[in-house]
Amino acid sequence: MVTGFDSVDQVMEKMAEANYIADRSLATVLFLSHRLQKPIFLEGEPGVGKTEVALVMAKIFEAELIRLQCYEGLDATTALYEWNYPKQLLYIRLQETEKGSKEEIERVLFSEQFLIRRPLLEAIVRSDLTAPVLLIDEIDRSDEEFEAFLLEVLSDFQITIPEVGTIRAKHTPHVIVTSNRTRDVHDALKRRCLYHWIDYPSFEKEYKIIMAKLPGIDGSFAEQVARFMQRLRQEDLLKRPGVSETLDWARALVEMHRDYLDEAVVMETLGCILKYQEDIQKFKEEIWGNDEKRAAYFL
Amino acid sequence: MKRGLPTSYNQDTKGSAFVSGLAARVIGFGYFLKQRGFRVYQSSIQDALRSLERVDIYRKDEFFDALRANLVSSDLEWTQFSGLFDQYWTVPAEGDKGAAEPGGKDQEEGKEKKVSPKNLIEIEQEPGEKGDKGVEQGWMRKIGYSPVSGVEKADVGKFEKEDIAVAQLALKRIMGSFKTAKTRRLHKVHQKRSLMDFPKVARKSLKYGGIPMELFYKEKKKRLKRLVILADVSGSMERYARFVIPFLLGLRGIGPKAEVFVFSTSLAHVTPLVRHLDVEKALKEMVRKVPEWSGGTRIGYSLHQFNQGHGATLIDRRAVVIILSDGWDLGAKELLRREMAQLNSKAHCTIWLNPLAGDPAFEPICRGMQAALPYIDYLLPANSLESLKRVGYVLSRVMIH
Repeated sequence: MVTGFDSVDQVMEKMAEANYIADRSLATVLFLSHRLQKPIFLEGEPGVGKTEVALVMAKIFEAELIRLQCYEGLDATTALYEWNYPKQLLYIRLQETEKGSKEEIERVLFSEQFLIRRPLLEAIVRSDLTAPVLLIDEIDRSDEEFEAFLLEVLSDFQITIPEVGTIRAKHTPHVIVTSNRTRDVHDALKRRCLYHWIDYPSFEKEYKIIMAKLPGIDGSFAEQVARFMQRLRQEDLLKRPGVSETLDWARALVEMHRDYLDEAVVMETLGCILKYQEDIQKFKEEIWGNDEKRAAYFL
Repeated sequence: MKRGLPTSYNQDTKGSAFVSGLAARVIGFGYFLKQRGFRVYQSSIQDALRSLERVDIYRKDEFFDALRANLVSSDLEWTQFSGLFDQYWTVPAEGDKGAAEPGGKDQEEGKEKKVSPKNLIEIEQEPGEKGDKGVEQGWMRKIGYSPVSGVEKADVGKFEKEDIAVAQLALKRIMGSFKTAKTRRLHKVHQKRSLMDFPKVARKSLKYGGIPMELFYKEKKKRLKRLVILADVSGSMERYARFVIPFLLGLRGIGPKAEVFVFSTSLAHVTPLVRHLDVEKALKEMVRKVPEWSGGTRIGYSLHQFNQGHGATLIDRRAVVIILSDGWDLGAKELLRREMAQLNSKAHCTIWLNPLAGDPAFEPICRGMQAALPYIDYLLPANSLESLKRVGYVLSRVMIH
């Protein structure tokens, strides 16, 4: 188990052990976030491994991963806490027959027992022994009001519940915020975070990722797949495939007991890498229909 | 790559003089980026300095990454950072001079800037620059070379201060109507369609001894639709544009996702230019950016461009489209009709602001207007404060869902 990072090299080493191929700049950002206790704001195209960073961090620290998936309409009661009202009402009815004292009922009514913890409160409560990893996924999907609310929590990691009191985090959670850029996130939130943009991987990196994630795969086959994906990303597509598509595809091909790429198998499994009908259409017509272009994919 | 720091520091690597010298340079770098349109905050600079204490600053890559993590806050800045980093930190060795005064380099930059606005305008007038990326890059480039002096040089005579003030007055009233529309609807909520409001049920049940006799439901949250503004800035609109465009620009504050486009013979996406600026600055930016301001009009073609490009992702049943134009079209009538039909079928509502419609004797006789008429939900005049108020009223009705 790792309690803290001493150097950027150590971060790289631990990430590699956890099967995540990170470049040095990402490792530096993780290191700084750990030392400065600042959240990380990760942006990048879908499927380049933003969420994965949080999973790996949790693995390295052997900490709990608490995930808050954002969506339009997400509000404080679903992100922070809520009283379990039906249970409270039932409890009141029960106590009436048992003639409990009023003070006692009130004390129990607003205790932990009736509190539903949502991810943000959970992250703070669970920070007793070790700092948990809090993943706030796809922040761009939430409303702007929610961002403002999040600022408050992220700045001092304490939550005040009027009936209970203020709960403060003992260890500052490792916070990772991801965004797909469907809208601009407010400056105030970005200002509190370290920014990192995860790009599509280079050929070498993608090859390493395939080898790391699919231990059984043949080296030259992985190379062929990586090269194909690199080439494909240069096309003008609606949604360029990310690393997750590469891995899905490679996994599918391995399942199909293939150990080399040919034209037939690419056509059969096109759905693994291209997710829009328009893209598939375009690929079939413009690239596959053109002998020269098609050949370039199998160099 | 080791010892990649500027040579001016390597001479003096020990003691506090080095630290304070580096700190000054980092702060200077923060301002250097800020002048080039980066959003750099005091706290980011402080954190950048704190970060540098924790990494091995003799490794150039760590030094670079530490600064980038703290000083960059968007993908656009991310792509620009590397170049600007090199520009600032790889100074030819000039002794201690650069270290002592962080502003020194910036002044040199200042000389470059004075020359640039002219060049930039020439670049922008090339018609080839279309599409989002081009616009955004252009924007960054311009911010890069546009301190206050550059803005002043640009031709902003088209907009009078009073016009802007009038528009802002209209806006203020309209914003008010949005607020009332939000709060006036506190009538009983349709019970079947919403969630139960447990805190209220519990509270109100106290008078019945804890039995929930009355049930209460949460009101559904009111949201605003996306506003898409397409403004005609051709020659024939000049008289009105001065007055209406400041107003429309102010509207981008309504709802979180407003987008602004201007067109004359072709369409330009100006949202990235004006997003973070106030109305006055946004106008200046637009005038500088849009090549064919006050040119001819091709509404049909511009709408076609819109429907093919941004429209595909921006327009859905939750979008309200405002088109500002007088309908004098040089282009084909059939194209306009087809594009309007497409727009109208996809959007929640289309509002056409026609300055000429304010005239009581107005009839939409010009070709463009006639073609578009069947596909317009609201045809409103836009030539006076009174008419803008009406626009606001209509908007406050259609924008909420």
